[in-house]
Amino acid sequence: MSNKKYWTSLDELNETPQYKEQAAKEFNFEINENDTEENGGTNRRDFLKAMGFSVSVAALASACKIPTHKAIPYTIDLRKAVPEVTPGLAVYFASTFYDGSEFANILVKTREGRPIKIEGNTESPFTLGGTSAKAQASVLSLYDVSRLPNPTIKNKKSDWKTVDAEIISKLDTIAKSGGKIALVTGTVASTITKNAIEKFVAKYPTTTVVSYDAISSYATRKANQISLGSPVIPTINYDKAEVIVGFNADFLGTGISSLENTRKYASNRVPTKDKPKMSRHHQFQSTMTLAGSNADYRYPIKPSEEKQALINLLATVGGSGTSKPLSGKDANDGIAKVAKELLANKGKSVVVSGTNDVDIQLLVNAINGTLGNYGEIINTAATYNLKSGNDEALATLANDLKAGAYKGIILLGANPVYNTPFADIFKNAIQKAELSVSTADRADESAQYCQYITPDSHYLESWDIISPVTGFYGFVQPTIVNLFDTRQSASSLMTWAGDTTPIGKFVQNEITALTGANYEAAVQLGFYGTPALTGGSGANVAASVAAVKADGVATKGFEVVFYEKIGVGDGGYANNPFLQELPDPISKVTWDNYVCVPFSFAKEKGIESQPADKKVPTANVTINGKTIKDLPVVVQFGQAAGTLAIALGYGREKAGRAGDMVGKNMYAYTKSVNGVTSYTVDGATIELTGNTYELALNQTYHTLMEDNNLPMREKKYRGSIVKETTLEEYKKNEHAGNEDREKIKEEFSNSLYDGYKPHDYKQGHHWGMTVDLNACVGCGACVVACSVENNVPVVGKRQVYRSQEMHWLRIDRYYNGNPDNPDVAFQPMMCQHCNNAPCENVCPVNATNHSSEGLNQMAYNRCIGTRYCANNCPYKVRRFNWLDYQGADSFGKFNDGKRSFTDSESQDYMFEDLTRMVLNPDVVTRSRGVIEKCSFCVQRIQEGKLTAKKEGRPLKDGEVKTACQAACTTGAITFGDQNNKESAVAKTFDTDGRNYFVLEEQHFLSAVGYQVKIRNKDEEPARFFINKPGV
Amino acid sequence: MYSCKPIRKILALIVIILSLSLSKTSFAAVAVPDVAATDAAGVEKVKAGMALYKANCTACHAIDRKVVGPALAGVWDRWESEAKLVAWVQNSSKLIASGDAYANKVFNENNKSVMTAFPQLSAEQVMDILLYIKNPGVAEPAKTAAATDGATATGTGDTKGTSNWYIWALITFLAVLALLLWSVTSKLDKAVREKAGETVEDVTLDKKIFNKKTFKVLMLIGSILLVFNIFNGAIDLGRSQGYAPDQPIKFSHALHVGQNQIECQYCHTGVEKSKHASIPGTQICMNCHKYVQQGPKYGKEEIAKIYNYAGWDPDKAKFVEAPKNIEWVKIHNLPDHVYFNHSQHVKVGGIKCQTCHGKVEEYEVMKQFAPLSMGWCINCHRQTEVKFAENKYYSVFQKYQEELKKGTKAKVTVEDIGGTECQKCHY
Repeated sequence: MSNKKYWTSLDELNETPQYKEQAAKEFNFEINENDTEENGGTNRRDFLKAMGFSVSVAALASACKIPTHKAIPYTIDLRKAVPEVTPGLAVYFASTFYDGSEFANILVKTREGRPIKIEGNTESPFTLGGTSAKAQASVLSLYDVSRLPNPTIKNKKSDWKTVDAEIISKLDTIAKSGGKIALVTGTVASTITKNAIEKFVAKYPTTTVVSYDAISSYATRKANQISLGSPVIPTINYDKAEVIVGFNADFLGTGISSLENTRKYASNRVPTKDKPKMSRHHQFQSTMTLAGSNADYRYPIKPSEEKQALINLLATVGGSGTSKPLSGKDANDGIAKVAKELLANKGKSVVVSGTNDVDIQLLVNAINGTLGNYGEIINTAATYNLKSGNDEALATLANDLKAGAYKGIILLGANPVYNTPFADIFKNAIQKAELSVSTADRADESAQYCQYITPDSHYLESWDIISPVTGFYGFVQPTIVNLFDTRQSASSLMTWAGDTTPIGKFVQNEITALTGANYEAAVQLGFYGTPALTGGSGANVAASVAAVKADGVATKGFEVVFYEKIGVGDGGYANNPFLQELPDPISKVTWDNYVCVPFSFAKEKGIESQPADKKVPTANVTINGKTIKDLPVVVQFGQAAGTLAIALGYGREKAGRAGDMVGKNMYAYTKSVNGVTSYTVDGATIELTGNTYELALNQTYHTLMEDNNLPMREKKYRGSIVKETTLEEYKKNEHAGNEDREKIKEEFSNSLYDGYKPHDYKQGHHWGMTVDLNACVGCGACVVACSVENNVPVVGKRQVYRSQEMHWLRIDRYYNGNPDNPDVAFQPMMCQHCNNAPCENVCPVNATNHSSEGLNQMAYNRCIGTRYCANNCPYKVRRFNWLDYQGADSFGKFNDGKRSFTDSESQDYMFEDLTRMVLNPDVVTRSRGVIEKCSFCVQRIQEGKLTAKKEGRPLKDGEVKTACQAACTTGAITFGDQNNKESAVAKTFDTDGRNYFVLEEQHFLSAVGYQVKIRNKDEEPARFFINKPGV
Repeated sequence: MYSCKPIRKILALIVIILSLSLSKTSFAAVAVPDVAATDAAGVEKVKAGMALYKANCTACHAIDRKVVGPALAGVWDRWESEAKLVAWVQNSSKLIASGDAYANKVFNENNKSVMTAFPQLSAEQVMDILLYIKNPGVAEPAKTAAATDGATATGTGDTKGTSNWYIWALITFLAVLALLLWSVTSKLDKAVREKAGETVEDVTLDKKIFNKKTFKVLMLIGSILLVFNIFNGAIDLGRSQGYAPDQPIKFSHALHVGQNQIECQYCHTGVEKSKHASIPGTQICMNCHKYVQQGPKYGKEEIAKIYNYAGWDPDKAKFVEAPKNIEWVKIHNLPDHVYFNHSQHVKVGGIKCQTCHGKVEEYEVMKQFAPLSMGWCINCHRQTEVKFAENKYYSVFQKYQEELKKGTKAKVTVEDIGGTECQKCHY
């Protein structure tokens, strides 16, 4: 049994009175915060007025005729070969999600011809059916009303014929006069786009093609040019590595191909009774990243120390170089410990760094080369085509543009005015150029200055071939006709190059040529080829070391780390409200970026009471003499002393309604060092302003608490909520960390409610779920998948601030240990479908009750909104519709007025007819005034049962998958029938020593079993009991 | 005295008429007799003929007008012998190939479209069909009766309403009359008494009736009635049993399902696969209506509407433009918070369409048969037996399976397996 204290926020750690008051409350705000009589709020007269109005409206409504509905048949044009569609049945199309850094083979679920959900393609050897939050949310971007509906000339509506004619004529003029044309792109992993670019360059030979990534890995390629002889990024077999050492590498959250890597990583992180082994993960890091939060050992280091740390490590594992002690004792000890383990696991370990610095990458290569990790773990036989941007080319281009060297600028999906340090240069150059074209799908920061915008189609409307690694191809096929008058950017390029082959035909021919088979079969599968699993040559250690420049870095002031968040990424997804509202896995903040400060800084500045009321202090941060005013301050446990961290990807100005003016744009503060974009800066100062900021922060409410008054439980600090142990203890005892379970079962065999008999589930189905805390990395794909599947509304920044977000599934993040360097645990928390559900007993109208299949049912139309159930839910998973978020109210749009996502009371994105096309037609939208919560995806259960019934066979285990389970790339969530003793869930419940139920001693008989988190640590870490960290 | 002369004359006349009529019959190419409604055996044959006619002929033929094939009335006069007519029906191509003059004439007159061969029809059956074609009225009485029944049924509904109205009017009239009479008698009484010298208190009618007590009672009754009505009215809000709106095309289920015996699934293709039975698009209408260009009731008018929606040019006999949506008025409106799946009920449950939609085969205009209220759903779920033995899915209910085997349980209803729980229909 764990005796650790888990905390979620600084307030809780300090046990401030504010926190105590708030933890006991159901809802974290005053319901009528402005609604007092003095403020002109409701009084008796208003009440009577409102009542009179309601009565008359009700009378009027009842006198009205029932509206006439139309039934439009699904009509097929018999002159065309159109596939038969049965209305009401979903059709799945294999396709590919790709955004420059992330790649996923997916299935697109369409209903009546409109895409409504993304599922993983389980056939894929590359991503094995996993999806990410971005991939899940991407379907909403298709219906984004901020997309440009037609090509434009000088921001005025035009048509393709005119635009093409004008562009081609200008291109011809420029090319004939020998004028230079810049074609600026992001990473091009599409063989089709590559082909189109080649054709374009052939037609206009004065073209220079520059690819860059907003968040670049160019240094890795540059270092590998020296170490491996070619500018590649090798794939890494995290599943085969016994020791993983990360240096500021967020390979689970935001790094290159993070989806694939997360799956690989997690597959070797779940020990079982028969095979009690897992990899060990060390992380040296400046700020807490997703990968870092999953590490067994963490060592905070400043960014400037990373190079020295690697030099020390290289020296310790037997390479050349001179060690110099680092500033932190932990880090120094860490290097020694890591070196020992690496040496013991030669050829079975890997050192990675996410820092975009050539020296650092060279050192990493040297260490891996010395350890013989190439081939088996670092696979140079399959290298990434992702993140192939060239920082040097971008810097050169910027210089040339400044000098006015280019007459034509074509931005192929690139947005350099927003996401490069050269914003002004690009802005001026675009405005001055003879020809400026952008293929952005909206008039973004760069496109708005272009003469022509030729809007790109969404990937769900396009044909494409994407190759993420050598030898592997994902096919993109359209799942809907173009919603707007848009054209795929590759097709635009081909048109301007004089090739008018329709893009569909072209891609089909390419697929046929590639696979040597009928393109239809290939497209149906969605991918082609098998990436090499291992192989390739090792690194040239001597050359790598020789190329490392002499160290002469002296830093001053605060060092700032610019990082990427898992939701909005580099800013390309800023206008996707699902991703804006996805809490950051670590900070749990939505709809914002902010400055992360270390705990030591908070102590020093006396930032004691912060997030309970979510009014955080703000600070002015000065970097390179430029001041960013009023940045919200978030205390980040585990962040290295003397560092600050601010996320990139925010502060968009022309992204659309959801993404505009959310947070601050930090790209201007990144800088090019020796031709490589650096995402760390030193010499920064931070000054608290004394102002406060209302931050849309999760996790400081919906707090799970255990009853410390129960006889067997003294103060155990959530010991029955999160359970964890170490691998060593688990090897000795499969019940390690879970020892109290037998006792709980014994002592608390009686229900809380006398005479309340648990339901009899001896026959039929009894649904249950298991969540493996070891497999869960906290990425949040399940949260978005749940929202998309179940029409869970996005509520906007203001409502999240008021703790009124609607997520049915949240991922609780707990810290324990030393606040300067704590351990982190993630716990997905959703309705536990208790058999002794406390919520059911208190509902006065029986709107929530139990089904014979063990589901805690919620009948929305019976709910009268007393919220007693939410008040009584020990897991705090019930959500109340305070407002009409989806236009589901019978009387129509109640929330008129200003509806920005960020500052208004509510938002109306789901009121748009176009956006509503994303709604799942099998799940009802909830109106104002009712409670909702996780239903175990009852629509999927019913669908699975119906399929079995129609085929006249029993339901198979694993046939019904919940949305969260299907989305999870690590397989942390399993759903099944407890009554089927052969089901995975029943087996875990009955035989897995790691299985426990949250708050089991209260005898809620929940249906969601969690498996104890196991950390691969040598010893139980020093226990850290503090009531008041007077420190 | 009467002589027998006139009788003879009459007899002679009869003989002549008879012989004339007989001789007329003998001149006809194919002999098809008239059948009297009283001739039971004949009517049976006509009915058999009707069934065969409807099953085999109506796709291309009508009795009184040309459809795809020629009108069939008088066909017996057009063929020279029964054998040839039967041979034509059984295999027209063969007869044409044999060089028969009339067969070739018919073939050429009908744009050389080959009539489907019916080798399965015997000569006797062909004659039965002809019998029906000649005497269609004889087989109709049953149908006419049914139609009249239907009319009466709906009529009674109306009459019931009307008679109720009359009764109420009558009661009111009588009540007013009673009051008037009472008032008259009391006034007369008063006059008589006053004449007799009595002093009579002046009690007016209104005072007698509208005193405080009656007022209270009336108010009470009134409030109860009001609440009752509001309650019922509220329950009925959004319900529309019997709803039969005008549709953009006067489509008749009675014709298509009742008369032409087209299976429901032919048009409502989703009913066994999907939650929606689905209303057919013009692509399904056009399967038949490429050929059937005229309806029995509205002629070409309504079918022309289909052509317009389908983008079909009947003259060129091809689709000339993209189909347009037919905006049918939706009749069965379930609230958004109800999930209903047709395939669950039709494919798994084996429920007949008519159980919920009524005798659609008799509806000239489609209407909502069931109330579609939750009580109606639940009642059915309580009573309906699950196909436990046939479907292996239900093996998961081991306890019920055992009880059924032992005989301790007679049947398993939908309710028994959780069919009345909230989240079976609401999610």
